[in-house]
Amino acid sequence: MTAAALLAPAGANAQTYPEPKDPGKVEPKPKGPFETHTVCRKKGRCDFRTIQRAVKAADAGDTIRVRKGVYKEAVRITGRKKRFLKLIGNPRKPAKVVLDGRGKKQNGIFVNDADEVSVNGFKARRYRANGFFFTNVNGYTMNHLIADRTGVYGLFAFNTIGGRMINSEAYYVNDGAFYIGQTPPQDNPIQTMVRNVDGWGSPIGFSATNMRYVTITKSRFYNNGIGIVPNALDSEKYPPPENNVITDNDVFWNNFNFHEGKPPFKPRTTGTAALVPIGTGILMLGGRGHLIENNRIYGNYLSGVAAIDGILLVENPLAISLDRNIVRGNQFGANGTDLNGRDLAYDGSGSDNCFSLAGVGVTEPANKSTFAKCSNGPNGLNTTVRNTMLSWTGKNAVNGWIKHPHAAKPGYTPLEIYNP
Amino acid sequence: MADTPTTRRSFFGLAGGTALLCTIGGEEVSVEGPETLRQADAAAARVRRPRATLAQQLPQIQPQPGGRRREYWIQAETRRWEIVPTRRDEWHNRRIPGRNTYLAYMYRTMTPGFAAYASGPNIPGPTLSGDVGDVIVVHFRNADRKLRQAVTMHPHGVKYGPEYDGAYMGEFTRAGGFVGPGETFTYQWECTPDSVGIWPYHDHGPNHTLNTFRGLFGALEIRPRGAKRPDRLYTVFAHQLPPPVTGLQRNFQCLNGRAYAGNTPTLRARVGQDVEINAFGMDSNFHTFHIHGHRWKDAAGAYVDNPTMGPNETVTARFVEDNPGRWLYHCHVFTHQDTGMTGWYVVEP
Repeated sequence: MTAAALLAPAGANAQTYPEPKDPGKVEPKPKGPFETHTVCRKKGRCDFRTIQRAVKAADAGDTIRVRKGVYKEAVRITGRKKRFLKLIGNPRKPAKVVLDGRGKKQNGIFVNDADEVSVNGFKARRYRANGFFFTNVNGYTMNHLIADRTGVYGLFAFNTIGGRMINSEAYYVNDGAFYIGQTPPQDNPIQTMVRNVDGWGSPIGFSATNMRYVTITKSRFYNNGIGIVPNALDSEKYPPPENNVITDNDVFWNNFNFHEGKPPFKPRTTGTAALVPIGTGILMLGGRGHLIENNRIYGNYLSGVAAIDGILLVENPLAISLDRNIVRGNQFGANGTDLNGRDLAYDGSGSDNCFSLAGVGVTEPANKSTFAKCSNGPNGLNTTVRNTMLSWTGKNAVNGWIKHPHAAKPGYTPLEIYNP
Repeated sequence: MADTPTTRRSFFGLAGGTALLCTIGGEEVSVEGPETLRQADAAAARVRRPRATLAQQLPQIQPQPGGRRREYWIQAETRRWEIVPTRRDEWHNRRIPGRNTYLAYMYRTMTPGFAAYASGPNIPGPTLSGDVGDVIVVHFRNADRKLRQAVTMHPHGVKYGPEYDGAYMGEFTRAGGFVGPGETFTYQWECTPDSVGIWPYHDHGPNHTLNTFRGLFGALEIRPRGAKRPDRLYTVFAHQLPPPVTGLQRNFQCLNGRAYAGNTPTLRARVGQDVEINAFGMDSNFHTFHIHGHRWKDAAGAYVDNPTMGPNETVTARFVEDNPGRWLYHCHVFTHQDTGMTGWYVVEP
């Protein structure tokens, strides 16, 4: 969904992206001494007037402090000489330090091949590709960031090892508010942490093509077409997604039908974003060894958690099977006040997938037959269920909706069709 | 250490606290004090990832019919640890002066995905339980970035292939035997009928002696399926924290990382309860495990009240409580019991 998605519009956006390379081992920590560079808009007050100039002057491990203001830039941080760089805006009020692409520039901050760069306290808005884009790095920190209408993705990590996305918010992009993909398989994996983030108002709250070793926790995904989708695709290396943990999140009201009305972004007509079954909380589209536990999942009209094997894979037949996934301990329907259309939907594909039915209401299939087995072999594919689930692709999902009224939630408004 | 006058107490402490001889990634290091401790850690941080750890297929171990996979999420981290928090020895009712805090290396239970802490870091680490037929799955993370060296979890008693051994073996090391800073590894251990018992687990990375001494150890509890569990289950590790490891002036004889009654675990039970106390030796010495006022049967069926345990050996004392009162339990090596390896056992009627 992304490498292709990114490379395909390259012509239109007149930008080429770096070829993925092995992020390798984390580069050694620089020795210092370290400097702090300051950036502000007013002449003569700080060391630099643009962030890019400060980045150019900075050595590995230096700190760049950016004062409040609007910076009409696309910042690039490239190469090992910029490793361990710290970019600090206003962590308490990220909206005070704005990166503005004005609908012309590609990425708010783009980090390539510079390990352990930390970006803290910025807001990016009106970019064409991504708000904050990290690729080919071993270790990164994205903290206190806001991505508002930043094109395809908000916070985006591709072909990376380790890293953190924390305390951030992304909305109104035409694919995934948050994205981690093409994680290289590792013998001794480094866990990536996603904590306390809000992804909303987009086709996908958290998109995860061939993502590995990621924990998503204490976060909220709402008012998207779909909340979270670990998915297997050929368009990126290393399918399928594996060994991710989704725990202690709120996934609700993901019924945003961006095919209708006037969404605040240009809707995709191709790619996975166009195909997502709108009204789904969490969808496992292929994948192995996932744990989806202790989340609160409610008010999604199609399904709370859905699972199907890697139907979009053609070139990697060995990666299609959906195996060893566990879904348990989740709280569906907010104690009956804000029901999902269905709590679970699963066609029985793959092996050793285990769904706990405690506290689960309506399911697809209604007789819960595909959830009967838990271990020791294939779960038992039911083609009728499968065909039903396949009929829910894209905006056709609306035909499968079972709508229930939402419980009021202070500070949140349900979004189904965007008409300003 | 050298310029500190030797008192009667520090003499007893020193008696067991000679240099710690470690082989770390091909270097032999004699750890004698803070400076050599730093050298040992630097040597461990220099150990390169063995090439053989790369690119291997890891089997998924399935439980036997009726068994299940018992998943644990555990991380190793360093933290300052107080050996004598009360600064008193309740047994002799005396003050224990001087510094008693050191940098410990400890296991800590996490929630799935390492999303949050599920317990404090502790000496010993969490007790991992399984029944025969189960698979114990440990998602292990080396969360320490201070000492910058690889650590592992190596179990005793359970069944595993070499990939889940958790031991550093030079060029023969597998991925589970070298978990570097920030990295994770998932161990899968089978609970077979011959695994029944209480066993230790500990670090077996390139710097295993030092890091195990620092506190990287815990217990595994494997029982026959359907067996009755005791009403009270305790694990007590007898080990010393010598000056070379702690950088402190004196040698502490510890039970579960603490020294002196009132700091060491106070075991509690009621008359009529089925009590099981498991004692382990977790240093380079031999210890004994003695409980006042109690006897129990050893594995051979003989009654004992003071059996010996060697390094990484377990003694299991299981009995039905019938003798209320406040009792001492301790290691009966005299210098050990007098310098901290003692605790209370309180039985209520």
